[in-house]
Amino acid sequence: MTESKKGYYGAYGGQYVAETLMNTLKELEEGFEQAMKDPSFLEEFHYYLSQYVGRETPLYFAERLSKKYGTKIYLKREDLNHTGAHKINNVIGQILLAKRMGKTRIIAETGAGQHGVATATGAALFGMECEVYMGAEDMERQKLNVLRMELLGAKVVPVKSGSNTLKDATNQAIRTWAARAEDTFYIIGSAVGPHPYPKMVKTFQSVISKEAKKQHFLAEGKLPERVIACIGGGSNSIGMFANFLEEEKVQLIGVEAAGKGLDTKEHAASMAKGKPGVLHGMKSYLLSDEDGNVQLAHSISAGLDYPGVGPEHAYLKDIGRVSYVSVTDVEAMDALMELSREEGIIPAIESAHAVAYALKLAKELSEEESMIVCLSGRGDKDVHTIADYLSGKGYQN
Amino acid sequence: MNRIEERLKENKVKKKKSFITYITAGLPDMEGMKGLIHTQELAGVDVIELGVPFSDPVADGEVIQKASQKSIEQGTNIKGIFQAVKQLRQEGSQVPLVFMMYYNTILTYGITEFVKSCKTTGVDGLIVPDLPMEEQQELQEALEQEEGPILIQLVSPVSKDRIKFIVKKGKGFIYCVSSMGVTGGGSFYNKVKDYLMEVRKSTDLPIMMGFGIKEPKDVEPYMDVIDGAIVGSHFIRLMEESSYNRNKAKEYIENFKAQL
Repeated sequence: MTESKKGYYGAYGGQYVAETLMNTLKELEEGFEQAMKDPSFLEEFHYYLSQYVGRETPLYFAERLSKKYGTKIYLKREDLNHTGAHKINNVIGQILLAKRMGKTRIIAETGAGQHGVATATGAALFGMECEVYMGAEDMERQKLNVLRMELLGAKVVPVKSGSNTLKDATNQAIRTWAARAEDTFYIIGSAVGPHPYPKMVKTFQSVISKEAKKQHFLAEGKLPERVIACIGGGSNSIGMFANFLEEEKVQLIGVEAAGKGLDTKEHAASMAKGKPGVLHGMKSYLLSDEDGNVQLAHSISAGLDYPGVGPEHAYLKDIGRVSYVSVTDVEAMDALMELSREEGIIPAIESAHAVAYALKLAKELSEEESMIVCLSGRGDKDVHTIADYLSGKGYQN
Repeated sequence: MNRIEERLKENKVKKKKSFITYITAGLPDMEGMKGLIHTQELAGVDVIELGVPFSDPVADGEVIQKASQKSIEQGTNIKGIFQAVKQLRQEGSQVPLVFMMYYNTILTYGITEFVKSCKTTGVDGLIVPDLPMEEQQELQEALEQEEGPILIQLVSPVSKDRIKFIVKKGKGFIYCVSSMGVTGGGSFYNKVKDYLMEVRKSTDLPIMMGFGIKEPKDVEPYMDVIDGAIVGSHFIRLMEESSYNRNKAKEYIENFKAQL
C-alpha cells in the first residue's frame, strides 16, 4: 500500500548498495515478484508455516490482565512458533525463495542469535549450507544461541570490526554477499536493508496480522481499537500492522526501546531521537553523530538494539499513520514480570516492551475497547539476562 | 576544467598511463597526511583518493576498515578534512583530490553545504560506493547547481547491461572494480579482461582499474585496455608497516609510474 517510487516509502527506502550488488538485487526482486504470483510457491510457504512452524498461532484473550486493567487485552502468540519467535515466518519465505532461485548457500546476520537460529533451522530443513555472521561480543553474550546454531549445522562466523555487534555483523554479511552473490542468498531478518528486503519481510510477516484480524473478528465481531508491537528493525511490527494499515479506525502503536532513557545516550529509539540517514542499503531514521558516524544503540533487549529502523516505519511515522512511542529497560522488565505472574507467559524482553506500553495505555481504556499486543517471542532465551537484571535490581525471587 | 579531467586528459594525449593511490584521511595524523600528499604529488601520482573515514564502511575490506576506525578514534571528521584540504591548496598543492566516502557523511553534513565546502576548499571529485546511479539524483543536482566536484562512476564485473547507462553519467574517469566484494580483495574476477573490454567499448573516458592491485605486474595483462590503476589497501598496508615513511611512498609511486 505505502510503497511509492520503486523501492521507496515516501522519502525512505531505496537501494544504497555498491554497484556490485545492483544486478543481484534486481534478480532477487524479479524472483520474489514471480514467486508471489505462483500459487505453488504460496502453497508450499503456507504448508511449512502450518506443518513446521505450527501456525496459526493463537490470539489469546489475556483474562487476568484484562480484568485487572478493565479492558480487553489480546495477545498474538508468535512466541508459540517453532524456534520461539516470529523470525521463522520470514526465514521460511526467504529460504524457499532461495531454493527456487537455485542458490545453495545461505548467509545471515544475527544480533542476539534469534534470527541466526531461525535461519540455521531453515537451512537444516532444506539441506542448505549456512553461515551466520555474529559480532564477537554478541557471541560471548549469547553462547547458548551460538551452540544452537552449531547444533543445527550452521557455521557461526565471529565479526571483529567496528563495535563487534549486530550492525557490524550486518556489514560483514553484506560484504560477503557482494563477493559471492552468484551462489549465495542473504536472508535479512528484519524489515530493513535495500529494496526489495523491506517489502519481502513485510510480505512474509504479514501472516501475523492476517490471522489476528480474522481471530479478533471471530472473538469480538469487530476490529480492535488498538494494535501494539515492539520495534527494533521492525519486522514483527510491520507484520502485525500490515493488514490493519488500511483500517483507519484502528490505532497502530510501535514501541521503541528507550534503554536507560531518551535523555541519555543509551537507547535504541531511532525514530524518537534519530534523523534520516543511510545505513545497510536503505535511507531511514538513523542514530548517527554530527559527523555522520553511526552511533551504538542500547537496549536490555538484544533484538531491539539496532541504530536504524525499517524504511516503511519511517514513512508511517511521517504521515502519522502509526504512533511510535518508547519504553525503558526498567519498564519493559516490570512488564515482563507482570505478564509472567499474571498470565503464566514469560515473554521475550523485546515483546515485553510492547506489553509495557499496552499496560500503560490500558489504564485509560474502557471495558468495551479491545487491543491486540504482538507477543513476538518467548523469554526462554533471556533467562540469563533476566537473572542478571533481577540480581542487580535486588528483586526477591 | 576540473583538475582530474585535465590531468587524465593530458596523460592520454601523451600516451601515458595514470596512477591513483588511496589514503585514509587523518593518518598517521592530519599533519602527516598533508605531508604524505605533498610527497606523493612530487613523486608524480596523478590523482589521490582521500578516504573519509566512516563507522560502517561496507564496501571496504579489512585493511581500510581498520584504518578508518583508527582515524575516527583519533578524532578525524569531515570538517577537519575540509580544513586540511584548504591548507594543502594554500600551500600550493595542485594534485587532483577525490573524496572516497559513504553517503551518510554527506547527508549528515547537508548535501548543498557539502558540495559548497568541496568547492571552496578544493576537492575535485567524489567516489561514493553506496550510491549507485539510481540513487544519485539529489547529489547530482547539487553538484551541477554549485558547479562542484565531479562524481566518479563505478562499474563492476557484474554490471553487464548497466554499463552503458552508468558510463553515460561518467565524468573524469570510470572506476572499474576488478573483483567481486570489497577493497583489497584477493583475486580478480575470472573474466576481468572481457569485462574491461566491454567498458572500453562503451566510453571514451579514461578507465581506471582498482580493487586488489598491489604491483604493476598485476595490471600488465590489461594495459592495452585500461588507462591506469588505482592502489588502495596495499598502499595503506605499506604505509602502516613503514610507520608512514614518506620515502617508501615516494619510491613505490615512482616505481609504479615508471612501470605503467
